[in-house]
Amino acid sequence: MKPFLDFVPQMNDIDLKRIARMQKKMEKRQASICSERALLITESFQSTEGEDYVLRKAKAFAHILKHMSIYIENDSLIFGNQANCNFAAPIFPEYSINWIIDELDEFHQRSGDVFQISEKVKKDLSGIASYWRNNTHQDEVFRNTPETIVLSEKQGVLHRGGISMSGDGHIVPKHELILEKGFRAIIRDAQQKLNETIDHEAQIFYQSVIITLEGALVYIKRFSQLAYQMAEGEKDEKRKAELWKIGKMCETLMERPVQNFYEGCEVCYLVHVLQMLESNGHSFCYGRFDQYMIDLYHSDIQNGILTKEKALEIITHMFLMNSSHNKVRPYGHTKFSQGYPLYSNLMIGGRKPDGADGSNELSYLCIEAMNLTSMAEPNFSMRYNQDTPADLLKLAAKLIRTGCGMPSMFNDEVAVRGLMDLGIPKEDALDYCAIGCVETGVPGKYGHRATGMTYVNWGKVLELVLNNGKDPNSGIQLISLNGRNDNEINYESYDEVWDGWEKLLKYYSDLAVECDAICDRSLAKHDASPFASCFIDNCMELGKTLKNGGCKYDVISQSNIGPCVVGNSLAAIKKLIFDEQKITWEQLLSAINNNWQGREASYIHKLVKNAPKFGNDDDYVDYIVKDVFDSYLRLLPAYKTERMGRGPEISCYTMSTSNITSYVPNGLDVGSTPDGRTAKSPLNEGCSPTQGTDMRGPTAVINSVAKLPNSKVAAGQLLNMRFSSGSLAGDENLNKFVNFLQACILKGIYHNQFNVVDSKTLLDAKEHPENYTDLIVRVAGYCAQFVALMPEAQNAIIARTENEWCM
Amino acid sequence: MSDENKGYISTIQLYSTKDGPGIRSTVFFMGCNLKCKWCSNPELLTPDIKYMHFEHKCIHCGACVEIASNHSITFAEKGCRIDRQMCSNLAECAEICPQNAYEKIGFEISSEELVHKIMRDKEFYSVSNGGVTFSGGDSILQGDFIIDVAQRLHAQGIHIALDTAGNICWEKMKAIIENVDMVLYDIKAYAGEIHKICTAVDNTLILSNIKHISKMNKDIIIRMIIVPGFNDDMDDVYQRIVFIKSLGSSVKRVDILEYHNFGSGKYARLGIENPIQQVICNNYSLLEKVKKMACELGLNAAILQ
Repeated sequence: MKPFLDFVPQMNDIDLKRIARMQKKMEKRQASICSERALLITESFQSTEGEDYVLRKAKAFAHILKHMSIYIENDSLIFGNQANCNFAAPIFPEYSINWIIDELDEFHQRSGDVFQISEKVKKDLSGIASYWRNNTHQDEVFRNTPETIVLSEKQGVLHRGGISMSGDGHIVPKHELILEKGFRAIIRDAQQKLNETIDHEAQIFYQSVIITLEGALVYIKRFSQLAYQMAEGEKDEKRKAELWKIGKMCETLMERPVQNFYEGCEVCYLVHVLQMLESNGHSFCYGRFDQYMIDLYHSDIQNGILTKEKALEIITHMFLMNSSHNKVRPYGHTKFSQGYPLYSNLMIGGRKPDGADGSNELSYLCIEAMNLTSMAEPNFSMRYNQDTPADLLKLAAKLIRTGCGMPSMFNDEVAVRGLMDLGIPKEDALDYCAIGCVETGVPGKYGHRATGMTYVNWGKVLELVLNNGKDPNSGIQLISLNGRNDNEINYESYDEVWDGWEKLLKYYSDLAVECDAICDRSLAKHDASPFASCFIDNCMELGKTLKNGGCKYDVISQSNIGPCVVGNSLAAIKKLIFDEQKITWEQLLSAINNNWQGREASYIHKLVKNAPKFGNDDDYVDYIVKDVFDSYLRLLPAYKTERMGRGPEISCYTMSTSNITSYVPNGLDVGSTPDGRTAKSPLNEGCSPTQGTDMRGPTAVINSVAKLPNSKVAAGQLLNMRFSSGSLAGDENLNKFVNFLQACILKGIYHNQFNVVDSKTLLDAKEHPENYTDLIVRVAGYCAQFVALMPEAQNAIIARTENEWCM
Repeated sequence: MSDENKGYISTIQLYSTKDGPGIRSTVFFMGCNLKCKWCSNPELLTPDIKYMHFEHKCIHCGACVEIASNHSITFAEKGCRIDRQMCSNLAECAEICPQNAYEKIGFEISSEELVHKIMRDKEFYSVSNGGVTFSGGDSILQGDFIIDVAQRLHAQGIHIALDTAGNICWEKMKAIIENVDMVLYDIKAYAGEIHKICTAVDNTLILSNIKHISKMNKDIIIRMIIVPGFNDDMDDVYQRIVFIKSLGSSVKRVDILEYHNFGSGKYARLGIENPIQQVICNNYSLLEKVKKMACELGLNAAILQ
């Protein structure tokens, strides 16, 4: 059993053995594919031909909930399932079908993100394929995609992640509303509005809301029956009582307001599951859990019906059950998001809408629960500011120290400013939360896709600048910089190079916005989500789904990959070719084309590697990286979303560097770059320094990132740092790490997440130093970069860490 | 002594967490007037610019061999053999190397520039009650320069620690101490003859300086390294501790440092002989014994690894 971080239980109300069993089960879970949802939606759609699409989706949702298998995990207090067994992924044929059929025989043979699939499931899916072919979201996107976008994808510049073949997700419902009202009251509201409206779209919407919520209530009542049945056969008295309690709870759950803390947790979880049955998007998030649950917690504690220990047990069960869900993606997309991620973000801490810090008892309990959970979901994050209690920050640091990489830390001062700059009122901006990874928005008020529309490979755009717009791999040229149709271009000054960058960036960003719009128009139909929509302002008032303009704030962003590779490359060009005239343009290109091989090329390689690099607090290059950010930010005001003027109070584009793992496959498409990066190697991650180029430790990284327009990257600026476990060991080091976090607030860092590594990683770092230069370790009397140390020092540290690791 | 406006340093180590309180930047100054056999920073023993050669990076491309004066660089089995006496253009050789197999150590810096660099981390110092530590080498050999730097830093409220062996005359030492907030002071042996064998200098000045410093109302951390076979004579260790105790309440802590060989590879890279050829194993029970001894005398002692 895992020890607590700080918590000292006073009561025997938390069953740690049971938590350990559940945790093991989740750790050893096996992914599979479930065909139930696919069969049921097909059945339903076949019976609703000719009706309005939104209504058909609503009816199918209710049909699925009525007939799909349900189960309650043996040990769990929390229930609600998305497919027929633990970690099975349901199939959503309405979004895309071709790849599923194409990959049927490959799911179990993948080299990563493997899925087991039975012959029966293969047969089920093959059987429904013909019904969906040519009628899916993907088909519609395909039909509407112009040649230029197809070619830009072939070049490797644009990449439409999920948006061309799956749902959007990326939303946070208004949990307070759900807890306070329950589904029944929302059904009544919808009924009343349906009676009052004469607008056709609104009529369809309200009908759909009623159908989906009734369907959800049926689903809940099925759990009541199941729990009673299970209770009858249960030998263990304690479990029997728990099952009775579940049975009783589900008789009235969501028929009325939530009655207590346990119900509240269960409802948050159920809404999460239901959203993931309605759409196959990801990043369906819990938002500010400690804020909207604290009243229920306090009143239960005061009424003597809940203990701190029991609350921790319930939260832990809820956290653990998040590992039971799954999503299957085409193999090609899996490279961009490895490790079965769902990005179900749950956030604690931070200021309240009135500006005061809102940290509370649940903030502490959630950190302890996440420590017991030790799984990748929920994606756990924390807001902090200058008023965050130091002991809460220290508890978070203790969790980070376990090596789970969580919580990721969001700086209130920067994130709030970023949202306010978009025109969002202060009290709403102060209530922000993470949606998915590092993208932020206002819970219950934001539409889909705060980030993750089209992915734009900036490394590739830079490569095209060097080649007059002509891609050396594919030979495709969509735009020429000098008017000629070959890849030869000679730049006379840095300003000319910069103009080339701006020109191509605008060309491809414009194209990406067009690409977004094509997907968005199709999603407005295929991803119409009445269930998810009715919990978000102002869908109910307007009678619109989110995708049709129902949300209050419609802020979206693309994902731009590789800003530091671009900035470092431009800095090397500026310094070596134009400022110092040490090398010529031809020499640089020739070395790049040879991927730095050969005597002259390797000498040029050394010079470009020694040129200033972002992440070392060097103004020369840091301000060029800032220029790169600014060049994109300047384009944004001209970009419109599909919903502008159709409902949302704010509709706009913003920026995000939330790249998930796309910096790796995007790098594969890009040849050597003038920063010294070799062909096919990864681009930099988010706004983090390029792997292997930050040499001066964590404070220098922060100083560099602090120079970027962080608050303008209002959909999330990702910074990933790596510390050795030794550098956080002991109380003194931990306190210094907490101080480091506090300084990040003063420096205006948007977000920060930490990897704390074990000795296995250190050994690998020794073997492959090029991948690990950002690794900080504690040496004799100071902290240093691991790869900068001599082999003997490295050995000593590996030996020492091994000891710590074994303890 | 030194130029008030020019210092010679090798590096500024950021996010230092063991050279005094809080998050600190440690400045490594070039030049030292001790010659400890176990020195782990031999590149800092003298103030001149040096080049380290990393044989594992060398691919025998021959670029440096071709241009080295007087045929002073030749291929070795691994990397290159450099005749440093004969080579008059090592800087050029380092520059032409495509593999970064040569690394330049040391550069000149003005006090303004050094202060500017140090101040870049001011937020980190302020939240953690940290600051800057002058280390080396021994920065006191550049006394006028570090006083200038210290005064500029104090004007901006930065906490300053001095990590020193203390081997200069009191008059000069006093002027430096007056400009710092904390002293990390090495006492490597009590008996003069042991000190001389280990460090090539007598310790009379060192011991008398710390007595003076202890009366100046500065926080002191004594650093006591124990290297098996060199300065681990228990009688001497005991006398060191008794002496430290006699310094009174200014001594806030005694750090017992174990020997480490992190610097051993540097000797070969600099082309100088390592005075310690044998493998030295730390005697941890002895270190614990020393700690206990110190604690029994009422000192706040800790073993630093």
